[in-house]
Amino acid sequence: MPLLRTEALTKHFPVKRGTLGKTAYVHAVDGVSLHVSRGETLAVVGESGSGKSTLALMILRLTRPTFGEIYFNGIEASKMSEKEFKKLRRRMGIVFQDPSASLNPRMTIEQTLARPLVLHGIKNHDEIEARITDMLERVGLGEEHSDRYPHELSGGQQQRVAIARAIILNPELVILDEPTSSLDVSVQAQILNLLFRLQKEFNLTYLFISHDLVMVRHVSDRIAVMYLGQIVEVAGTDELFDNTTHPYTAALLSAVPIPRPKTGNIERLIVSGEPPSPINPPKGCRFHPRCKYAVERCRTEEPKLTLRGLDHIVACHRAGEIDVSGYTKELWKAIEAA
Amino acid sequence: MPRLASLKDTVLRLLQYRTSFAGLLIVLGIAVLAVGAPVFAARGFAETDPVNRLLPPSARYLFGTDVLGRDLFSRIVYGARIALWVGLLVTFIEAGIGVILGIMSGYYGGIVDKLISAATDMVWAFPPVVLALAVVTMIGPGLTQVVIAIALTSWPAFTRISRAKVQSLVNREFVLAARAIGESDSNIMGRYLLPNLVPSILVVSTLTLPAAILYTTALSFLGFGAQPPTPDWGAILADGAAQLRVAPWIATIPGVFIVITALGFNLLGDGLRDILDPKLRI
Amino acid sequence: MATPLLAVEELRTYFYLSGGVVKAVDGVSFVVNEDEVFCLVGETGCGKSVTSLSIMRLIFHPGKIEGGRLVYRGKDLLAIPEDEMRKIRGKEIAMIFQNPMRSLNPVFTIGDQIAEAPLTHFDLSNRDAWNRAIEFVSKVKMPDPEMRAKSYPHVLSGGMRQRSMIAMMISCEPSLLIADEPTTSVDVTIQAQIMDLLLEIKKRRKMSMMLITHNFGLVGEMGDRAAVMYCGKVVEIGSVREIFREPLHPYTQGLLKCLPVGFERKRELEVIPGTLPSPVNPPQGCRFCPRCSLAMMGCKLQEPPLVAQGKDRLVACHLYGG
Repeated sequence: MPLLRTEALTKHFPVKRGTLGKTAYVHAVDGVSLHVSRGETLAVVGESGSGKSTLALMILRLTRPTFGEIYFNGIEASKMSEKEFKKLRRRMGIVFQDPSASLNPRMTIEQTLARPLVLHGIKNHDEIEARITDMLERVGLGEEHSDRYPHELSGGQQQRVAIARAIILNPELVILDEPTSSLDVSVQAQILNLLFRLQKEFNLTYLFISHDLVMVRHVSDRIAVMYLGQIVEVAGTDELFDNTTHPYTAALLSAVPIPRPKTGNIERLIVSGEPPSPINPPKGCRFHPRCKYAVERCRTEEPKLTLRGLDHIVACHRAGEIDVSGYTKELWKAIEAA
Repeated sequence: MPRLASLKDTVLRLLQYRTSFAGLLIVLGIAVLAVGAPVFAARGFAETDPVNRLLPPSARYLFGTDVLGRDLFSRIVYGARIALWVGLLVTFIEAGIGVILGIMSGYYGGIVDKLISAATDMVWAFPPVVLALAVVTMIGPGLTQVVIAIALTSWPAFTRISRAKVQSLVNREFVLAARAIGESDSNIMGRYLLPNLVPSILVVSTLTLPAAILYTTALSFLGFGAQPPTPDWGAILADGAAQLRVAPWIATIPGVFIVITALGFNLLGDGLRDILDPKLRI
Repeated sequence: MATPLLAVEELRTYFYLSGGVVKAVDGVSFVVNEDEVFCLVGETGCGKSVTSLSIMRLIFHPGKIEGGRLVYRGKDLLAIPEDEMRKIRGKEIAMIFQNPMRSLNPVFTIGDQIAEAPLTHFDLSNRDAWNRAIEFVSKVKMPDPEMRAKSYPHVLSGGMRQRSMIAMMISCEPSLLIADEPTTSVDVTIQAQIMDLLLEIKKRRKMSMMLITHNFGLVGEMGDRAAVMYCGKVVEIGSVREIFREPLHPYTQGLLKCLPVGFERKRELEVIPGTLPSPVNPPQGCRFCPRCSLAMMGCKLQEPPLVAQGKDRLVACHLYGG
């Protein structure tokens, strides 16, 4: 049984348009069904407007789904009362992108780390202190950091605190929303290493949200690609890179600048135009206005996710007819070779 | 996010600018006078000495005497105590009401926000002096009554700033993170939002405090606030109005003190606002 | 060898703050040639942005350019008076910034903003300047140029705003375009479009581009030559190919090893130990020494100068006889 499973998860935000108050809806997330197995790292990739962050917020009940279900270890969680859900909260943690914004500037590190413990029943002062000291050490900080305020720490240190807070209750699932995007390259590597280590030590399951495909390739077992609120392709990492099927995935993967000298004449699939507004998503396949392979059917009929190989699903009408894998395969082979 | 200003930092920066430095000096000066009133005032503020009435300022009577022969200096110094006390009390009550309403309004949004905002706008429209007069006609004159009346009409300043700040903070990741670990709404408002509002509240306080002093002295001047022999500066001014031609110092000196005190707080408040407002500090 | 378009020599820009003096740029030298993409790479605080602002002479209090020469087409930009510099800014050397929303004036249409520079530098009528603006809107591949030119910045998407900014900056056809992290705030697919556009413009107009970034991917894709900066100094210069193939400076080597490319999945990356030094109190001698695994005795005492290590290859490291 997967640790986490979502079923047709949907989130529509109402938005007032015009003075007469005609309400339109932002289709932030639309019918997302995915699962994460225990111990694995599932990456959710997409650009702005893809809905990946909203998805994370729904899983943690920081925003209520409009529709759909969330199963945590088989237990349906989206319709529980807040009181009941609080018991589940200790089994999930979240790390946000901007560490300086995710820590309360008016609480010391110790206070920040103590809150989760206190909220979930640990009242003994000595035990709290011991667990905080232990956790600080595990994330590479020291006791001297306990009574500092967030602004006295560097970005990397702040993120370590955020990670410590996320795992101090020994959760099973940790959602990481772009955890290294605001950090310097050298610090990113340190944080990634820390995440690897902690995953092994605590047998954690990661939901890794990112737009950095180079990093995603290195950290994840499986990748789910989202576009305008929907999942367009999910596959194991190697499979996704070797047999890219959806044109958007191919465009995304080939758009990533590779940190290797110009590899000559590798053709990229440059996607045209701008991402449309999620308030009025295009009819049919949402990607069709920007897709060079679009045909009539794509304009009218929404593609369903279909199986295209062992553990590889795609939502594209032309999945069997077109071959976009060439774009990514050559590109990434070139990196490995360099 | 901008760096927090520590206390030492703030004070140092305050001292750097001439205007806020002046403001700080004035406020501290008035505070010293107020606290040390019993020491500074050689004679009590109520001791009458009709023989020595209406004397101009001299070495013996620093500010002269009033129509009843009371030492004006002592009265002014005790008046400082009243002014500060009044200012602090009013600010405290206003902040208490205003901040709580503002936080709830900003955090809950929706109908709560609509109701509180409507109430805030209505009260904001009321001229405090007029309302105080209404209150006083109902329950009788007195400094305490006036203090309550002013406080009840001027809390919107705090509600506005609290609501605005909370709205800017409520979707920040640290609030989301707090909800993610299971913090209750009241905890979030009290532990996460409120402490981050302190700088703004402080700035608003330094500006509402002098306003409170101005309102109460005005009401005392009209006879509705402090009752004799309470040496509220406004009351002294009222006394002096009658003697303006004969003994102009009785009205002028309290007037000057009122202006300087208000000015001092305003300068200090401006300086504080420049320092504590989220401006990027290198 | 042809004369470089821009030669930066021992540039020093300091910031005088209450906490101390921040030597943001402390003796930086490099050249940018005609018709090339030159990348200035480094992490936060290395001084790359300040360098570009110094080149444009856009350093204001509490910052001050304290020394060095900026030789552009034979003229030292630091020695000329401000009104002469103003003629160069926008016309010969232009700059695009990271966050286009902050750099565009919300109360003017983008057409007006694009027309501004040509109006200032060339003797054009309003009509001609407006037409030129429309021309450039289409050159940056925005659909429906006439209508777009009449739009205000807030109705445009991030990618479009960046294109508007680019149009603004190339409207006078500068010889050198400085791009400071131009795509950090846009999505990957839009980034690819913008980068493509910049390369195309560069090719068409034989323009040189100085790209400031911390993204090695962009350096690899776009750059011809690059300089790696650390703590206010240049540590290595060379062709992009050479730097990737054979990084010489230990910092460069460390940085490249941090990138999660070409490794076994989930394998821990080799990190550079320690943290960036304080900008107010940089270490004595070589600034990278405290974090360098190859440090030698002399490194702590003496700052290594930038020395040649082959054709168009410079390193500031004692390992190479500096």
